Amino acid sequence: MSDNSGNGTGFDFEITLDGEKVGVRRGESLYEVSERHRKEIPTLCYDPRLEAFGGCRLCIVELDGARNPVASCTMRAEPGMRITTRSARLDMHRRVLMEMVASENRDMDVDPLSGYASQEMAVLLDRYDARTGRFAGARSGRSRPDDDNPFILRDYENCISCYRCVRVCAEQEGDYAISVMNRGFETQITTEFEGLLGDSACTFCGQCVQTCPTGALADIKALANADVPGETEKTRTVCPYCGVGCAVDLMSRGDKLIGVQPAMDGPANEGALCVKGQFAFDFVQHPDRLAYPMVRGEDGELHETDWDTALDRAAAGFTAAVENHGRHSVYGVASGRAPHEAAYMMQRFIRGAFGTNQIDNCSRA
Amino acid sequence: MNMPSDADLLAKWRARPAPLLPLLHEFHERDGFLSEESLRAISEDLRIPIADLFGTITFYHHFSRDPDGYARARVCTGPICALAGANELLAGLPNAQAMPCPGRCDEPIPVLDRDRVLCGTTVAELASRPSPLPPAPHPDVEECVFAHIRTPGRATLAGYRASGGYAGLENALRGRPDALLDIIDASGLAGRGGAGFPTGRKWRAVAEAAGEPRTIVCNADEGEPGCFKDRALMDYDPHAVIEGMIAAGFATGAMRGFIYLRYEYPDTLHILETALEEARDAGLLGPDALGPGRPFDLWVRRGAGAYICGEETSLLNSLEGKHPFPRNRPPFPVTHGYEDLPTVVNNVETLASVPHILVHGADWYRGLGIGDHAGTKVISLSGDVARPGNYEVPMGFPLMTLIDDWAGGVPGGRKIQAVTMAGLSGGFLAGEALDVTLDEPDIRSKGSFLGAGGIMVFDDSRDMIEVAHSAMEFFAEESCGKCFPCRIGTQRLTERLHGDGPPDIGAWIDEVHDLGDTMMQTSACGLGQAAPLITESLIRYFPDRVSRHVAQSV
Repeated sequence: MSDNSGNGTGFDFEITLDGEKVGVRRGESLYEVSERHRKEIPTLCYDPRLEAFGGCRLCIVELDGARNPVASCTMRAEPGMRITTRSARLDMHRRVLMEMVASENRDMDVDPLSGYASQEMAVLLDRYDARTGRFAGARSGRSRPDDDNPFILRDYENCISCYRCVRVCAEQEGDYAISVMNRGFETQITTEFEGLLGDSACTFCGQCVQTCPTGALADIKALANADVPGETEKTRTVCPYCGVGCAVDLMSRGDKLIGVQPAMDGPANEGALCVKGQFAFDFVQHPDRLAYPMVRGEDGELHETDWDTALDRAAAGFTAAVENHGRHSVYGVASGRAPHEAAYMMQRFIRGAFGTNQIDNCSRA
Repeated sequence: MNMPSDADLLAKWRARPAPLLPLLHEFHERDGFLSEESLRAISEDLRIPIADLFGTITFYHHFSRDPDGYARARVCTGPICALAGANELLAGLPNAQAMPCPGRCDEPIPVLDRDRVLCGTTVAELASRPSPLPPAPHPDVEECVFAHIRTPGRATLAGYRASGGYAGLENALRGRPDALLDIIDASGLAGRGGAGFPTGRKWRAVAEAAGEPRTIVCNADEGEPGCFKDRALMDYDPHAVIEGMIAAGFATGAMRGFIYLRYEYPDTLHILETALEEARDAGLLGPDALGPGRPFDLWVRRGAGAYICGEETSLLNSLEGKHPFPRNRPPFPVTHGYEDLPTVVNNVETLASVPHILVHGADWYRGLGIGDHAGTKVISLSGDVARPGNYEVPMGFPLMTLIDDWAGGVPGGRKIQAVTMAGLSGGFLAGEALDVTLDEPDIRSKGSFLGAGGIMVFDDSRDMIEVAHSAMEFFAEESCGKCFPCRIGTQRLTERLHGDGPPDIGAWIDEVHDLGDTMMQTSACGLGQAAPLITESLIRYFPDRVSRHVAQSV
């Protein structure tokens, strides 16, 4: 119960936020309270699904009584706190921090197809007018062009060491496939013994890609479609692969499906996907996909035909099997790529037409 | 001698408290490095994800993944040893590698050879010997932690008892924890590791915090360059530290404790372990240490070469076997410390003061300081002085009296150009700012801080740009990489002190000030907040030298 005050507001106490008294639920961070009031505090290391980390320091706010600004993401709101989210001093520090970030990176602009959060750095660079060329010096991060996995680009020269990838892998996916090695400016995201993702505990769920704020980790399959002409359109739907019901945004240009991003507000998945939902969409527009009915001829080859002929051939085959071997000689496995209505039809067909319960779906595997 | 198997080592450590670091050290010493097989075995046994374990061991200087890593000698190239010819010595030792200051500035140059420390300025001179005792005290001044340190045999239990040791604790154990807390409060004892937090308040907070078991941690990770006082205390008066920890345990209701010892003090490790064994045999530690049925025990855990592990929350993560990033505060260790339970983290010197306070009383301790300042402070003095070493001075003592009268001044007819404060973290004091007293308020008024009390002296022949550059390089190498301002800022300041950066002095100073200001104001821990004091004080005291540096860099 968060409301102990009996005042019906749902809040436990108040703080003063930019001069205004606002309600707070016990346990909320200053960042969470400020976000509720649309203060648009900048951050690069924050992902609302993850434990606050306090790395980028962009979310600093002025706290009355504190000598230095405090990181709002890691500071819990306490009764009576007075905080300021914008001031000349805060803006100056945020700009210097963004100039520092810009100075260690190779690319400031990355293709939005790289991943869901890939524009966060570029947006803040512009907001703080930080493309100044100040603080020039060594750049950090070693990219891994040797990692030839087909899904995740590991372009660490664009890494800003916010560790969102490491944290999402541990806290959300529970894979613990990647970690932080070395320290300071030599810090590097790594797998065990600096190996390839394919040799690690990685399941290629892609969540690291989608939380990366710079495109250092990027969706190779979506980027392969970067040259497809047209505006990217996103269509919200539900992943068909299994029963979890992960919400996804299908990205398309014209009539071409170019990639998948998880829906951060998907009630079942909150931005999570598995390798199938994230990366296995080629079948939709694959050239080998059946576009018309075919039957095998006397010559042993498949030939195009009409639906009636094809269905008659199929029915004859089923009937012969049941007559010769009984109703349990039929086993139906519905495709995970089929829509839910088709899956339902399939089980009705197997149960009703053949009288067997041998019906399954590949998503169960 | 049979080599222990993986299974032997895992069986030995898995059920003991804080097992990761000792296990890694055992494998490292057995094999000469940390092999993939060893790490996989440890990962599986302690249930630490292998990627995490791999990342964590790369954080520490001294864990090597190269088969000859453990056997490679490490030569100090810290600020004082660099003056004494460390780079030449390093070049003369085949296969040796550089290491940051290992706390032997009173006897340069230390070389860490597996589990031995050798000292000497040339290869021929290198020899293992006991660490230097503090120089004789000034006759007019009363010492606290050093009062008995020069008494032969003080490091043994018998010797310690003969000079009054454990009497204060035994007396306190007959009373109530409250009474002990009152004495510590009244003494004005405050943290001697640098933060200066009142010890009594810290102990009381732990005593009142919810959650058990509580833990006492002695921060013996003396990693600040130019600081070597804790080494002297532990080498010559280990029971004082142990007695202080037991007293803290009694006052707070803790039943366990750790001494987190820096890797670079292998001799100290043996001394501490011997002392702990003696204390355990005498029943001072163990199941009835704090009274019948009231256990308290202590273990030493070694770091593996990481300056940031002297930061208390980073230390706690290291002790727990986690990646040693500092934690976000609040919550503080007094409520969420070791294993997220209430924990006292005190510096060696703080804990070593406690037995003396228990014997002589709070008023006595408070009266040792000058004016309003309570107690004493050990200053590790090194560099261009005639008699470097550890000096225990009354709080509020004039810096120049220490340097000129006690330590014999600057040798060779030279003059002081600058001193560092807080080891390196306090930056430089020079010119009129040298007229300062050794207490936090006065030093802070000069834009610096006393910290753990390391002071390095540089005479007028030294190149302050070079000193500042090597100092900033140290901070850059030791930055943990968690927060942006420190990770990037220490690197950029190092580059600018190296001669890179804008060729125009105005732009150079703008960049250095902006980097420094944002680092000081927004860094997550003391490392990034303090590092810019080097550049700020350099610009303040040596503007002409800075201008020449920028002009020459073009």
